[in-house]
Amino acid sequence: MNLVVDRRTRLAKFFDRADFVGLGTMLLLALGIVAVGAGWVNGDAARLVVIALGAVLVGIIAMAVMGNGEVRRKLAPYGLLKPGILWLALFFLAPVWSLFVMSLSAKESRFDFWPDFSWHWDNYRTALTEFRPQFVRSFSYAGIATLLTLIIGFPLAYVIAFRGGRYKTILLGLVVVPFFTSYLIRTLAWQNLLADSGPIVSIIDDLRLTGLFESLNIMENGKLMNTPAAVIGGLTYNFLPFMVLPIYVSMEKIDVRLLDAAHDLYSTGRRAFRKVVLPLTFPGIFAGTLLTFIPAAGDFINAALLGSPNTTMIGNSIQDQFIRQNNWPVAGAMSLVLMAIITVAVMIYTKFLGTEDLV
Amino acid sequence: MSNHAQRRNYSRREFFIRSGLAGAGALSLPALIAACGGGSDGGSGGGGGGGGAKTLYFENWPAYIDGATEADFEAATGIAMTYKEGYNDNNEYFAKVQTRLSSDKAIEADMLAPTFWMASRYINLGWAQKLDKAKIPNAKNLRSDLRDPGFDPGNLYSMPWQTGTAGVAYNIDATGRELTSVADLFDPAFKGKIGMLTEMRDTIGLILLSEGVDPSSISTFDEAAVAFEKLEKAKADGQIRQFTGNDYMDDLDTGNFAACVAWSGDVVQLSRDNPSVRYIIPEEGATSWYDTMIWMKGSKQSDSVAEWINYVYDPANAAKIAAEVGYISPVEGVRDELVKMGGDAAMMAESTILFPTEDEKKRLRTFASLSEEEEAKFDEAFAKITGA
Repeated sequence: MNLVVDRRTRLAKFFDRADFVGLGTMLLLALGIVAVGAGWVNGDAARLVVIALGAVLVGIIAMAVMGNGEVRRKLAPYGLLKPGILWLALFFLAPVWSLFVMSLSAKESRFDFWPDFSWHWDNYRTALTEFRPQFVRSFSYAGIATLLTLIIGFPLAYVIAFRGGRYKTILLGLVVVPFFTSYLIRTLAWQNLLADSGPIVSIIDDLRLTGLFESLNIMENGKLMNTPAAVIGGLTYNFLPFMVLPIYVSMEKIDVRLLDAAHDLYSTGRRAFRKVVLPLTFPGIFAGTLLTFIPAAGDFINAALLGSPNTTMIGNSIQDQFIRQNNWPVAGAMSLVLMAIITVAVMIYTKFLGTEDLV
Repeated sequence: MSNHAQRRNYSRREFFIRSGLAGAGALSLPALIAACGGGSDGGSGGGGGGGGAKTLYFENWPAYIDGATEADFEAATGIAMTYKEGYNDNNEYFAKVQTRLSSDKAIEADMLAPTFWMASRYINLGWAQKLDKAKIPNAKNLRSDLRDPGFDPGNLYSMPWQTGTAGVAYNIDATGRELTSVADLFDPAFKGKIGMLTEMRDTIGLILLSEGVDPSSISTFDEAAVAFEKLEKAKADGQIRQFTGNDYMDDLDTGNFAACVAWSGDVVQLSRDNPSVRYIIPEEGATSWYDTMIWMKGSKQSDSVAEWINYVYDPANAAKIAAEVGYISPVEGVRDELVKMGGDAAMMAESTILFPTEDEKKRLRTFASLSEEEEAKFDEAFAKITGA
């Protein structure tokens, strides 16, 4: 008799602490998924872990079904978080962990396909010294491309948001239209546009502007293809919508009456733009620059298809080390260094721009 | 600067090859990751043949066969054949299959067509199986100069698929003059208009010849260092526009490349549509190479593989392939068969690209086989220069 009561109170306590149970299950599931995904457990052990995780999942659902409204209310946030967390555990945390282990492994011989973990920090030294030019190039190309997308994208978003009228949707659609075809095909099309015998170079030649473009370092020896300008141009073109759309969204939200109020208070148009529109657009600019800069820094398609051996970016090097040189440890180190630099850069940028309302 | 008329009509095939190449490049990373994931142990993923049916899956380089051979072979033997053109680059393909092969799992293909030095690597790693030579009587037709390579005495594991030379190709509309030597590739007049191959042995081999070093007799990196220095300098100066694989054909066609290191058969195919594209065995010499057929570890299609090799080593069948691809056939008697076929094929029998003159033959060298340790140095130095 006593025992039954005891068990019931214990169960009740368990249900009272539903929030801790929810959090605990979520972390347990994430950990289990990483363990399987990153290969901490293999074979039958892995199968066992998966079965256990399934059981835990069933358990937590049963708890939500059996419990009262209060229990469900406490469990809900973790339930809603779970799909995202578990997805990232499997497809982000587990691979990053594997990458980390690989980046500190050493190959015993050239055809050692399963390098052993050995705290081989030398991989990071190689990544940072031998591939420094590629790192520098990646960030400068990505930086210039981001600036260009901002210069092109901001006025575009402004016109669509404030002057678009009933054509707004169509104009916005046109920004997205290039995305209907593959990234690769779009970049290949640039090869034809920029070719030595292609339309753009012909026009520049006909206008006798080749000298001018060469002095601006846009052309080299009368060619546009396979130059830094071509790579930066390709990046700018391919990432432009990522800049336009967030800026447009933040402009869309601006209440036009705020501008009317500014004018009522004797503000000039320029001043109203500077004091009202621009600050309210910052979240969009912030999001746009990140969405452009981060993928552009790691991009390899543009440099591979539009560049030359002197314009390779870090993405090309990582691909080469992975795919052609079979040098997974160094490639892993390079990938993690790239991630680290981007993370730090974004943190500084966030601090600098101070857009708390975004986070 | 005369602005030459634009010739922008790719043949459909070229376009598909081109986009396929680029696609393969972009896809190889996911493919690699997928390969890491393990998966089923299915040996030969042949064309749907049911229990015990004979199948054959051959993964070859793009644009490397005629249109009829696959069907003719199926009709003649009843073997369901899957012929794929997924082999774009020796190193990339190696990286793609190494995970499975090194953990003793079969890959999808029964046969691959690696270049001789890569075939040597597969054989040394134990990833190729011994061919059933008793079932390949036509092996006797193998050209005598290709028999018993150092890495495979008796051709127990490998039989050549096609052979060719790596020389200099140029587009006379862009160069404005005939080229005769490797040194022309370093002519400042063509700054930024020169292409080189990502295939280390072909690019470095040619430069070595231009420096008076015989690439067939080197054994250490130091002996070849001079070529790497020359290449490094040319790259830094902006002389070299791009390092490419098979995709150089398009740049050569349009004149983006005035000249480049090229494979003989490609130029035969390209010059059919564009007579401005020419190919030479430079006066300093050129390298000759061959791609081989090897039977992969884990495949159970011993008979199919033997029957296929026997089929393509019949001079009549080999001639059909040679007439289309424009490479040098490893099969004795192909030239006579080409003459018999008449028409375009008979004209190919006269081509010095397919059948180099005695004088040209004297200038051909095959890149020496390197020890594992030395090869690593070569590859590393080359990778540094190609920029990636």
